[in-house]
Amino acid sequence: MAKRMTSTLAATLLLMAACGKGGEGNTQRAQGGAGNDSAITIALIAKSSSNPVFLAARTGAEAAAKDISEKQGVKVTVNWMTPPQEDGQVQAQRIQQAVNGGADGILISSSDAGKLTGAINDAVDRGVEVMTFDSDVPQSKRFAFYGVDDVKTGAAVMDELAKLLDGKGRVAILAGNQNAPNLQRRVQGARDAAKKYPGIEIVGAFNHIETPQDAAAEVTRVNNAYPGISGWAMIGAWPLFTQALLKDIDPKRMKVVAVDALPAELPYVEKGIAPVLLAQPVYMWGDVGVRTLVDRIHAKKNPPQQTIPMELVRVTNDNLGTWARQLRDWGFTDVPQKYLDLQK
Amino acid sequence: MAHGTVTEVPAAPKNAPQPAAPRSRTIAQRIAGTQEAGLILVIVLLTIVLTLLAGEHADRRTGEMVNNFWNANTLMQVATDASFFAIMAIGATIVIISGGIDLSVGSIYALAGVTMAMLLRALGPSGAVPTALIGIVVCVGIGLLCGILNGALVVGLRVHPFIITLGSMWVLRGIAFVISKAESILVPQSLTGVTKASFGLPPGLYPVPMLTMIAIAAVGTLYLTRTVMGRHIFAFGGNVEASRFAGLRLDRIQIGVFAVSGLTAGISAFLGASYFGSASSGDAQGYELYVIASAVVGGASLTGGRGTALGATLGALLIVLIRQSIRTLHLDQNYEWIVIGCAIIVAVVIDQWSTRAAARRLAQAAAASRAA
Repeated sequence: MAKRMTSTLAATLLLMAACGKGGEGNTQRAQGGAGNDSAITIALIAKSSSNPVFLAARTGAEAAAKDISEKQGVKVTVNWMTPPQEDGQVQAQRIQQAVNGGADGILISSSDAGKLTGAINDAVDRGVEVMTFDSDVPQSKRFAFYGVDDVKTGAAVMDELAKLLDGKGRVAILAGNQNAPNLQRRVQGARDAAKKYPGIEIVGAFNHIETPQDAAAEVTRVNNAYPGISGWAMIGAWPLFTQALLKDIDPKRMKVVAVDALPAELPYVEKGIAPVLLAQPVYMWGDVGVRTLVDRIHAKKNPPQQTIPMELVRVTNDNLGTWARQLRDWGFTDVPQKYLDLQK
Repeated sequence: MAHGTVTEVPAAPKNAPQPAAPRSRTIAQRIAGTQEAGLILVIVLLTIVLTLLAGEHADRRTGEMVNNFWNANTLMQVATDASFFAIMAIGATIVIISGGIDLSVGSIYALAGVTMAMLLRALGPSGAVPTALIGIVVCVGIGLLCGILNGALVVGLRVHPFIITLGSMWVLRGIAFVISKAESILVPQSLTGVTKASFGLPPGLYPVPMLTMIAIAAVGTLYLTRTVMGRHIFAFGGNVEASRFAGLRLDRIQIGVFAVSGLTAGISAFLGASYFGSASSGDAQGYELYVIASAVVGGASLTGGRGTALGATLGALLIVLIRQSIRTLHLDQNYEWIVIGCAIIVAVVIDQWSTRAAARRLAQAAAASRAA
């Protein structure tokens, strides 16, 4: 038994050494902590590290950290502590780990507000500043939230879809993780907006585990189960990260309106399957989040309001080029060249 | 000498050397002689390595520099994180000792948690003690019920436990999903206050989950080593046919082990839901793999007949420690699953080699003594 376990330890340590420190984009260990104004560590805990929107947020956060470090003489380190898949309990544990490891601030998008309220309050009570983005934990002691108004976002999706369908048709709502409070509000917003259009019939709101493949599979399943669907109100654009629906959906018979417009999703705009995408500038989650936290920790400055509103960007074929170039400027390296070459 | 005559043992010669009195062993020697000695050694060594490499930060309360790993908060947090797996792993170990497996523990956890949360919400606010009592009774009751159901299906349908619990894994989580309407249901603050009681310790230190884990490990150890049922479980897992011929009630044993597994999942659900403040049908997804890994790393043999409650606890602690090390050392956390998976495979493979090597040595020794 001793031999077995010693071998386990050796194997573990070798593997950990092989994994390297920090990985892609991660930064050095902070030697600072509270009271050290020259170094700030921010733990970034998004919902899931397999969701591309949060990888974009990470890019924004690390870019902001680098910018602040160069210009303000404060070394800012972003520690990526996002779970591999959505799990509110794991996020709560990550909060504790961040606090115990000396983080000065936490930037978090909640998978389950009920599980995170206590953990956030404990962190704040121990002197760590906490800010939420995308999905809020409003009952907690977090000092600010940055994101869209989810109810209005859901309503905007349904309004755009209704316009495309001339106010009539069978519509499905694609939701995501059923426990995520922000997604629940978007679904509610979409349902409430649909009431304004008597010709619109909602066949249901469909959940999935928020990976692109599962989302695409769910859309296909529902299309097969409800053959008369003429539109999808997607409160997140997960399935559009795959190419699966480019051939499966006939733009003459079905329209999609979705939230988010990252590079992989732009072909759906070009082909007319998703004539309108309502883009959250997800890069800004990280950028604004880090800057706001640094202001609070370093300069003791509060944001002008507790809820910092994020405005959606309406992406259509009319401004596809402009949006593609914005994505490139934000550091996305996978924007197809043909969109970058568009005049507008 | 006539056949069957009892012959007196001749008295020892007067000058024959007296047999040495048994030496009393120190605690360290006793620990070193246990089955878990290697696991304890690894945990200690990993702790030392982490402490040396962790770096430090300024404590917000005192301003003093503290080690990023070796501080009370991190150690308590590691023990707490391990407790949810460890408690379930003790139950899973008992099933594995019997030669079975239970894949439904994560789903039992979810169902017990949401049922408790919904009932407490329906009952309305109440004091901490009655709330905690109702909570534990509901969680344990649901866990036991699910476990007995699993056992009854295994025995009644004569289907392998892998298949039965694979099915119940889906069914039970589905029931949790339907009854909770996919909501995340808050539990009363008074209940969270019970599980997050600090007993006068500094802020951020909540020892209840850790203490519960230790208590369950102690009870599990006594059950397996000091009770008749415990011995029957080992016998059943070691050799079913021999157990049958020995007259053991095999059906009862099988139902009993699944009942215990469900029970520990219920206890863990009570702790988890009350500690984190809510329950949902999505809770504990994938936990069955961590639970089984904890049991196996802790020494339980998937072929049955071997395992300990302490080993399961230490196995859970080791897995959580490996996860913690990824974060403490700021390693690329995308490698977490790879590291844990490889460590588990290495542990089990080397254990199997050791077992086969020991069996070969025994066979060679037996052959040699026959030849002699």
